[in-house]
Amino acid sequence: MMLSRSILILLLALFSANTLGAKKPMRVVSTNLCTDQLLLMLAEPGQIASVSHLAVEPESSYMAEQAKRYPLNHAEVEELLTLKPDLIVAGAFTKKATVNLLRELGYRVEVFPLTSNIAEIKRNVEHMAQLLEQRAKGDELVQEMEKRISTVQAEVPNRALPSLFYQPRGYTSGRNTLHDEALILTGWRNVASEHGVNGYGVIDLESVLLAEPVQFFTSDYGQGSDSLAQRQLQHPALRLITGGKPMVNVGFRYWICGGPMIADAIEQLAEIRNR
Amino acid sequence: MSTLTAKTASEMNQGMLLALLGLLVVSLVVISLFIGSNPIPVFQALQESLDDTPTVLSMILTEVRLPRALIAAFAGATLGLCGAVMQGLLRNPLASPGLVGSSSGAAFGAVAVLYFGLGTTFWAALPLGGMLGALGATLLVYLLAGRDASIVTLILAGVAINSLALALISLLLNLAPSPYAVREIVLWMLGSVASHSMNEFWIMLPGVLLGSLLVTGNGRALNALTLGEDTARSMGINIVRLRWQLFLAVALAVGSAVSITGAIGFVGLVIPHLLRPLVGYMPGRLLPVSALGGAAMLLMADIAIRLFPAGTEIKVGVLTALVGAPFFLYLILKTRRAQL
Repeated sequence: MMLSRSILILLLALFSANTLGAKKPMRVVSTNLCTDQLLLMLAEPGQIASVSHLAVEPESSYMAEQAKRYPLNHAEVEELLTLKPDLIVAGAFTKKATVNLLRELGYRVEVFPLTSNIAEIKRNVEHMAQLLEQRAKGDELVQEMEKRISTVQAEVPNRALPSLFYQPRGYTSGRNTLHDEALILTGWRNVASEHGVNGYGVIDLESVLLAEPVQFFTSDYGQGSDSLAQRQLQHPALRLITGGKPMVNVGFRYWICGGPMIADAIEQLAEIRNR
Repeated sequence: MSTLTAKTASEMNQGMLLALLGLLVVSLVVISLFIGSNPIPVFQALQESLDDTPTVLSMILTEVRLPRALIAAFAGATLGLCGAVMQGLLRNPLASPGLVGSSSGAAFGAVAVLYFGLGTTFWAALPLGGMLGALGATLLVYLLAGRDASIVTLILAGVAINSLALALISLLLNLAPSPYAVREIVLWMLGSVASHSMNEFWIMLPGVLLGSLLVTGNGRALNALTLGEDTARSMGINIVRLRWQLFLAVALAVGSAVSITGAIGFVGLVIPHLLRPLVGYMPGRLLPVSALGGAAMLLMADIAIRLFPAGTEIKVGVLTALVGAPFFLYLILKTRRAQL
């Protein structure tokens, strides 16, 4: 009984691997901003069936322009089914129930983990390239990103200066974040990590001042709007401590998802360090 | 008026009382300067802040801790004073900016201005929004409850207007263009004096001072009002003018304070009650005493939340409500007993 069942499962697995895995997916649906961007970077235009509605928001999506050509989805099961996907790529934030339901219905769903460093970005790019049968394109993308980062790294001064990502409401990026790695690669020290912040967390204003950062960075994604949270970035002490140097805005779209666009952010951070 | 000033057992000399409360407020401001997330040598910081070039220590003292202490002191004084004014004017022991809707009205006005882009164009837009909101809500409650409203009617009208203001604040914050707005409902409803700069203090100050100035000199009229409106009128007091002047004063002061701190509850209710026996139940003498008492209460609450061993700081309004709500219930029980 047991044996026959396992044989059945094995056969089913082989069958699905043959019909789905070996063939190049031509109707790929992405339900998450992070997979949207990787898909748009790596797929041939004919492979993409749909991307999520966030993919066209220029503040959060690096590939907003390219995303406009494709139908948008809201990660609802019903609308996904009507798209007749042969591969669904989802992110760690996609609802578990949605993923499970799609899998039960026989669809192939690949869930991409979140990224908190450049090595994980590479892994995600390679994973997507492999799924799309676009390995050469994936390698090219990774190599270009690495080349840009190492060029920048060679140019920045050795002495690291204290800096901080300061977001509305006093949020910051500590250890194990892309921001932390990017700062350290570009000749900055991350005051938040040194203060003991792990991941994304709050740092109080007094601790910020005591660390005497020479430069603040921010990724405010509500530009042009007003709130108490955003007013916190206007605190006069923040300007005084850096000798009047204005806070530099490094686009939200480079960080919200880990991807090769991290190279753009790193170049921007390095440029300010080299000034 | 000497017949009215027969001394009660707990009554104190007014000058003495003011001096003591003043000393308390000053000490609390100083204590407040010593408390922060990091221990810093405050005296050294003070010395350095007298120099021309700002140092880190002087910045923490003058740009972070000082505005917090000053905002707490002035916002607390506003709430204490306005509580005393309202209880005197409406001759209702449960009247206060929080219960009569002035605070939540002010918060609504400030929210309408701040989140829809008017706050950055003109510095006074924010307190003006708060003032209009406070005035509107107070007048609405006053009209709803009627002139000689019973305690219950006034409270019910206040509850209705408070709920309406809360609903409108939530609605506005949901519609606001800023992605951060929705999470700030709590800040407006409970109030906080944390993470402000001296800019906010200067924005709040004119309205608070102007409001207090409008109240000054009306003590005698409030004393007379305790004898009933007719008697007060026969004593030459223009009740209509008094009412408008005091409503305006409350709107100016509460509107400015709340537009910076959010609606901090119960200070305006508790403080006048605690201090009333000490001034021989004279509404006029209660005014300056309540202002100092309110400042002391809010400073104490703000010091307490900073000493509280919680991971993230709780809002100061949480503490004033935790102290104030049981007190409110006690007052209700007391008035019920008095009515029996």
